[in-house]
Amino acid sequence: MSGAIPTIAEAARLIAAKQLSPVELTRACLDRVHKLDGELHAFVHLTEERALAEARAAEAAISAHGPKGPLHGIPIGLKDIVDTKGVPTTCQSKFLQDNIPDADAACAEKLAAAGTVLIGKTTTHEFADGGPSFDLPKPPARNPWNTEHFTAGSSSGTGAAVAAGLILGGIGTDTGGSIRGPAALCGIAGIKPTYGLVSRAGVAPAAFSLDHIGPMAWTAEDCALMLQALAGHDPRDPASASRPIPNYTAQLGSGVKGLKIGVIHHFHETDHKVSDGTQRGIAAAIATFRDLGAEMREVQVSPLQDWLACGSLISITERAAAFEEWARTRLGDFSERLRSRLMLGAFVTGVDYVQAVRRRRELRAELQAAMKGLDAVLTATQPAEAAKIDAVPKWDLFGPPNFTMPFNVAGYPAISVCSGFGEGGLPLAIQLAGKPFQEPTLLRIADAFEKATQFRERRPALLAA
Amino acid sequence: MPDIDDQAFEFLLARGGLDLTSEQKAELRSVYAGIAAMAERVRKPRGYMAEPAHVYDFTEDDLV
Repeated sequence: MSGAIPTIAEAARLIAAKQLSPVELTRACLDRVHKLDGELHAFVHLTEERALAEARAAEAAISAHGPKGPLHGIPIGLKDIVDTKGVPTTCQSKFLQDNIPDADAACAEKLAAAGTVLIGKTTTHEFADGGPSFDLPKPPARNPWNTEHFTAGSSSGTGAAVAAGLILGGIGTDTGGSIRGPAALCGIAGIKPTYGLVSRAGVAPAAFSLDHIGPMAWTAEDCALMLQALAGHDPRDPASASRPIPNYTAQLGSGVKGLKIGVIHHFHETDHKVSDGTQRGIAAAIATFRDLGAEMREVQVSPLQDWLACGSLISITERAAAFEEWARTRLGDFSERLRSRLMLGAFVTGVDYVQAVRRRRELRAELQAAMKGLDAVLTATQPAEAAKIDAVPKWDLFGPPNFTMPFNVAGYPAISVCSGFGEGGLPLAIQLAGKPFQEPTLLRIADAFEKATQFRERRPALLAA
Repeated sequence: MPDIDDQAFEFLLARGGLDLTSEQKAELRSVYAGIAAMAERVRKPRGYMAEPAHVYDFTEDDLV
């Protein structure tokens, strides 16, 4: 195949109609990998032979019996903190350079069972924190819209690979924004589902009470298709929710008429004032939702700084606990950025941690009350277009607060979707958050926005070069 | 701007089992105020009965 990169939904329809071969689709992705990944560094490990074998097997099965679902024959990538049986899983760390798991993580297992084709393991910040780091075994991923710029992290490789069409979808993980940040800066869609909806079994921990696994893809519709395969109870994950799984695509195409969306203006206008371009994108998105028939309201909660303080103290402590042994015995083997984060654990006392967890309960109750009667809330995902990759501050934790942590602290689902392009030609984004386990409504709103705008028609210029 | 004295700083490092170079110590100490501000921010007026959300579940109220 040539030319346009299909979405997962488009590819699934073509595959089902036998108008697109999974082998052809996989080869097209691999061709783009060979052409572009020397510059993008979206992958730390390619599984090319396996991908072609899986694509051939998918093609044969589909030819004989039809597709088992919309992911059958779809090329994907897995963040390199996701265990993959027989395939290196390094967490981008010197500690795990020789690590070859003997079992798949739950999310890898589920996507394989859905018939996906694994192109490879995607680049991450070391153990999904810090970054970009230039002192690791592999370089950080670069933004396909301008390779001098950052992708955000830590699911940086998945973000870059989806945007550049090296894969049609992939797995990200999100402890404070690591799905939504790269989705925003790479101009794709990425959803952090409700805490507990997708099993974390077999995925390296960052901070256990804030960690989420979720899909990243070109569109919200594609995220819905992937989430359908990923969601579900798993006794191997102690936080896994036991709830019925709805149809995540059932509401797509229903529009937003009559839905009520709150806008947390103070997050992006006062607590952390976004760039003019991002502000214009948010204003245009609000106008779009109004035009589509949604009722827009103003919402107020505690300042972003409160959410960040709460989430950061929890995150620093849980991470320090997870990596305590290595921090005590081999601190110098971590990248400089992760080492610095781990050192912070010495400053957070047990009492600080408990006060943060108590604060968390208050903040979650506050969001619950603020969202009463609403279907979703809207704010920024990132403050501006992507910064240059060599200009990302090491101690961003103590700079202006990020927009994504509130929904990790609360455990509420949140999605980032592209809301246009800034003066530098790089993507802008909005973030929509829904109520717990109400992903069908959240995806419906995000899908309606994408379909009412033209931003899904533009891909990075390097694809045309 | 809150600071931390040498003795307290060294105690915290020893308690954490961290063996740092003098350069790393200086860098870590330079961001102490940031962590102290966060620790202050999570302390709000609340009674001793306020239970931490170390285990929580979503209720039907979340869905209203």
